[in-house]
Amino acid sequence: MSKTKTFCELSDLQHYSQQLQEPAVAWQMRQQAWQATMTAPNPSFAKINYRPWANLQGQLTVASQAVPLPASTAQIAQVAGQPVQVRLSTEAQTAGVEVLDLVAAWQQWPDLMQQYFGQVMPWTSQQLAATHYATVNSGVVIRVPANTKLQAPLTWDFYQNGTGRQLNSQHVLLIAGADSEFSILENRRTLGSDQPSASIVEELVLLAGAKVRFAAIDQLSLPTYLARYARLATNARLDWALGIMNDGDVLADFNTDLNGQGSQSEVKAVAISTGRQNQGITTRITNYGQHTKANILQHGVILSDATLIFNGIGHIVKGARGSDSQQENRVLMLSRTARGDANPILLIDENDVRAGHAASVGRVNQEQMYYLMSRGLSKDLAERLVIRGFLGSVLSEIPAAEARQILTDTIERKLIDGQRHRDRAQ
Amino acid sequence: MTTLVINDLHVRIDDESGHKEILKGVNLTMKTGEIHAIMGPNGTGKSTLSETIMGNPRYQVTSGDILLDGQSLLDQPVDARARAGLFLAMQYPAEIMGVTNAEFMRAAINARRPDDDPISVRDFIKELDQNLALLDMNEAMAERYLNQGFSGGEKKRNEILQLLMIKPAFAILDEIDSGLDIDAMKVVAKGVNSMRGDNFGSLIITHYQRLLDYIEPDVVHVMMGGRIVKSGDAQLAKKLEAEGYTGLRDELGLDIKLTDEN
Ligand SMILES: Nc1ncnc2c1ncn2[C@@H]1O[C@H](COP(=O)(O)OP(=O)(O)OP(=O)(O)O)[C@@H](O)[C@H]1O
Ligand SMILES: [Mg+2]
Repeated sequence: MSKTKTFCELSDLQHYSQQLQEPAVAWQMRQQAWQATMTAPNPSFAKINYRPWANLQGQLTVASQAVPLPASTAQIAQVAGQPVQVRLSTEAQTAGVEVLDLVAAWQQWPDLMQQYFGQVMPWTSQQLAATHYATVNSGVVIRVPANTKLQAPLTWDFYQNGTGRQLNSQHVLLIAGADSEFSILENRRTLGSDQPSASIVEELVLLAGAKVRFAAIDQLSLPTYLARYARLATNARLDWALGIMNDGDVLADFNTDLNGQGSQSEVKAVAISTGRQNQGITTRITNYGQHTKANILQHGVILSDATLIFNGIGHIVKGARGSDSQQENRVLMLSRTARGDANPILLIDENDVRAGHAASVGRVNQEQMYYLMSRGLSKDLAERLVIRGFLGSVLSEIPAAEARQILTDTIERKLIDGQRHRDRAQ
Repeated sequence: MTTLVINDLHVRIDDESGHKEILKGVNLTMKTGEIHAIMGPNGTGKSTLSETIMGNPRYQVTSGDILLDGQSLLDQPVDARARAGLFLAMQYPAEIMGVTNAEFMRAAINARRPDDDPISVRDFIKELDQNLALLDMNEAMAERYLNQGFSGGEKKRNEILQLLMIKPAFAILDEIDSGLDIDAMKVVAKGVNSMRGDNFGSLIITHYQRLLDYIEPDVVHVMMGGRIVKSGDAQLAKKLEAEGYTGLRDELGLDIKLTDEN
């Protein structure tokens, strides 16, 4: 029996890579990433201590026994460390959408993997990224052909595996072909609670003119480094709608590069931290191309002793003329012991641009509470309604009705749980 | 029949400038089936009285009591008082984003019912439509966010709509007529009058006799300097309208400064 250890031994990595029969390039990447974990700087996220997430552990072995996949109606489903299960809709199949497990993708799509895997995220730049690329032990690669237009969303359900000894390092790579148009609905959850941490990286490549709406509902309970990185070519458009509804400590690292001229991206995120939970969310959009447009809108709520930090980073590089970078970060604290921050950062290296930001850290408006309660609503219900109003300005902007409804229900449930927890503690 | 008794109520407000006693011994007894009116000069404590009865935490009761059918309400929070039968149409209703008017009223009605027996959507809508019609309100108002962007007059009408939907035992209407045009005032009066009956009592705070032409009170109280200084029938309001507060003050020999005096 192999002993539990961190990924640290290079020989373990090599052994693992050989078991998977990875091509030489894949092994070289692991090796470089492993070296970078020694030399790369710590990640730097303003006001967020990254340390709770720096401790990725578990065994790197080829899964011998499958963890049963929870009943899922999603077209793509995977438990971290296990093979992917694919059941594409007829629409997606007919359109030529292709999906492979990450291991198979290295064998069957070597050129594509070399071209895109690890190309969106600068994986030797900081330790958490390097750790991920050294250890990645499961994943899925999705190709949507050029000019494909899908009516129904591609649905993905991913599960962290906290039930055994296996390390959790899962990767998603999506290539949206030129002028394709579709939406994605992603759900992330956790099975079990036996792992100290987990790592997730998603890379989204949008080729010229691709239009993608990406909605995700994260309900993770392991401490997780969760990175979502996207790169947009000319005139591509990516709209993120993110429900950060985790129960565990999550370090979210969301990054969109507007490389192509005229590309645009909007990030709409709502987050709730409850109990003693600690979440740090850094959302960055960088305008590289000319006439690119970035908009970040993040609203979060903090209950009990929890922490929630929003960093919004809008970066317009030199030469990105005619670009626009806007952001709004707001947090609402529901208790005296809640800790929160909303931190807008604008980095502007070009003159001919437009940029703006708004931020606030506040408490529930007592006038509103009093008014609602004066009609007989309990304090908890009144509070939920005020919060719903506060998050609603982001929620109502989420175009996909299905995602919006799921998110609304999730928020309601999470708030009820958080309030119950608090009311019991009082 | 339900009775609301205010007994030698003293109320203080604490702000940056320190404590200030605003109510200095208010006594008042109301029964369902009765309409009471309170008139009085600006800054005399009328809103303070209504907010204190309702349970606004900003107002400190230093002595005295508020009793509903003999039960003290003082240690009850505002939501419990509301469910016990009190309603306050506020002088300045709050605006709340993201919560529709209809949804709010349904939640308020359900807060008074057992958890497993919420009002049916159909009954709710039927009642809502009737009351919207009674108050000449556009159906779209029900689907708008609660008071969000409502005009002053629309907010007042909306307070009455809530009153009709919730059907409390006692409604305190704090300057429900302020900012209303004459037609709107008639509509609001129609709404309140439709509630009149053995199971409903109201305390109407107003500066103008005109509202009382439409909602005829059984009792009129005059409040000055944090106390009720005189009570009478509907004639008292007419007399005040004619003579003003200075006359009454001097007649009663009170040593109170009125705000519009220099
Ligand atoms: N929240 C508060 N903070 C400070 N002072 C207050 C507050 N509420 C009331 N007061 C003061 O208490 C006094 C009574 O105010 P109140 O609003 O009860 O008067 P009112 O009789 O309703 O007057 P009006 O006819 O102008 O509505 C005033 O001097 C007012 O400034
Ligand atoms: Mg007043």
